[in-house]
Amino acid sequence: MENLQTTPALPALPRPGKSPWQIRDPKNTRSMILASVLPALLALALTFAFNIDGSIAMLTIFLPIQFATAAFVGFRIFGRKGVADAGLVIFTIFFSTLVGVLLMSVLFSVITEGFKALSPQFISQNNVYITSTTSLEYGGVGHAVLGTFIIVGLTTLVTVPLGIALAVYLTETRSKARGTVRTLVQAMSGLPSVVAGLFVYAALITTGFTKYAGWLGSVALIPLMLPTVTRVAEEALRLVPVELRNGALALGAPAYRSFLRVTLPAAKSGIITAVLLGIARIIGETAPLLLTVNYANGTVLNPLEAMASLPTYIYQNLDSANDTSLQRAWGAALVVLIFVAIIFTSARVATRSKTAKKSSKKVVKK
Amino acid sequence: MNQLETPIAHLISEDVNVWFGERHVLRDVSLTFPVNQVTALIGPSGCGKSTFIRTLNRMHELIPGAGFAGKVLFNGQDIYESTVDPTTVRLKIGMVFQKPNPFPTMSIRENVLSGLKLSGRKNYDADDIVESSLRRASIWTEAKDRLGDPATSLSGGQQQRLCIARSLAMQPDVILMDEPCSALDPGSTRRIEETIQELSETMSIVIVTHNMQQAQRVAHQTAFFLAEEGTPGRVVEFGSTDDVFNRPKDARTNDYVNGHFG
Repeated sequence: MENLQTTPALPALPRPGKSPWQIRDPKNTRSMILASVLPALLALALTFAFNIDGSIAMLTIFLPIQFATAAFVGFRIFGRKGVADAGLVIFTIFFSTLVGVLLMSVLFSVITEGFKALSPQFISQNNVYITSTTSLEYGGVGHAVLGTFIIVGLTTLVTVPLGIALAVYLTETRSKARGTVRTLVQAMSGLPSVVAGLFVYAALITTGFTKYAGWLGSVALIPLMLPTVTRVAEEALRLVPVELRNGALALGAPAYRSFLRVTLPAAKSGIITAVLLGIARIIGETAPLLLTVNYANGTVLNPLEAMASLPTYIYQNLDSANDTSLQRAWGAALVVLIFVAIIFTSARVATRSKTAKKSSKKVVKK
Repeated sequence: MNQLETPIAHLISEDVNVWFGERHVLRDVSLTFPVNQVTALIGPSGCGKSTFIRTLNRMHELIPGAGFAGKVLFNGQDIYESTVDPTTVRLKIGMVFQKPNPFPTMSIRENVLSGLKLSGRKNYDADDIVESSLRRASIWTEAKDRLGDPATSLSGGQQQRLCIARSLAMQPDVILMDEPCSALDPGSTRRIEETIQELSETMSIVIVTHNMQQAQRVAHQTAFFLAEEGTPGRVVEFGSTDDVFNRPKDARTNDYVNGHFG
């Protein structure tokens, strides 16, 4: 044992500024910058010189020059592979920008136009005594917000237990009918919303069974929300490792307790996401509500009556095509957008908190 | 390990046969597991050891397409009789899996008590059970100051010992272990082997292992499984660990335990 030697411990070193893969040749960087700026300047100059329409100039002048310069620089730095690479990069950046601009312009117009109508009274008041010429200082979407809450709330109350039950049936049982059920649920997601509304309209209103009412809207929304809830909840349950279920069963747990105490808690955040995504899916639906709920100007809280909702409020105000009405429609659209944003953000928070906890656990382990 | 002194057997498999779909994977396995003895199941991959161990507490039937014929007698009662509820079998015959599987949504303490909650048992002294189970699984000193921490904050070896503690809390008569150390480092493996030796004073243990040294260290008796080309797996040799490793009767056993194949 005395012959064994010990290597002395080495002290820690400060980290160098850049790792090898982060170092770039400044000459290459310069030509890359030139290749991205030059085409834009050239295209702008030509557009103004010949007074060409902007979008045409974009496609016929800017894009070709951009492809050419990028390919040239790509070839100089990386050889033939660089040409294909540059082409793909330009293609990707151009089209993702295009899609981004389209989306942003929609958001931008809803927010700027909607903001003009937005005020505390716009959220709280209803539409009684409001005509298309009434000033924006009076009236609002309060009744529509409440109506949407009630209609969507009733749908959620029915659909969430049903959707989760379906997801449990699809993941936890070995029934032979699962394939058929899954296909049916998926087919349901292809159902046009107007057809769902039309069905309820034909079955319950034209037959004289009942008049326009909020609960009919809730019924029409069920087949639209159900596939989303079922599919997302099914994915969430499927992600729970089989080892956990086996662990519970091996302890002598009956299947239902194993599900309630082990599988369900493990899939909790995914199931919350399923519910929120389902709500977001139906909150903006217009056609089924027009056909089954109609609209109301006053605040109606009774789902057995015709009532207001945000989408139908927008539709109603677009119909009258007057400036203040249009402003009200924009304002209501912004309110819907805000609700959807809140729902999606909470879905993200619900799913993130789980992964965040996991990563902090990993730190603890070390 | 010492010679058997013919103790009473309380778990006996009689002509166990297993199919997956139409494929016959285990044929006529008859083994006797005496009280307070450790039995090792060894053999190359795919010979049906894990499949067999899962038939002993009816976890086998949870695999889609599984088929079964034969008897498993627990204290004289065939656990496959139609009147027997599989959950009551699993209460008395616990199981530890290859990969540590503590419940991630529960704390260490809740994990130990999970079996009691899951089986709907009431009126128990929780603190007492948590301490004694963790002590017997030799993880008490590491876990006692952090019982409220999530179970996933433990290392892999600690998680596996927590899973053993979780089974022990149910006070089973038999514990089945399906390669409990295959995902662990040598240090954790040694701790678990020590735990097995201590536990075998009060309960029977069946352990599947790929590690010959491990089988020799912990097991009183050993069964060698083999599935020869295209035929279902079966027991080639069964006897005291000493005999199987040092005086094998079958040439194939001799080849396997001396590392000539597998």
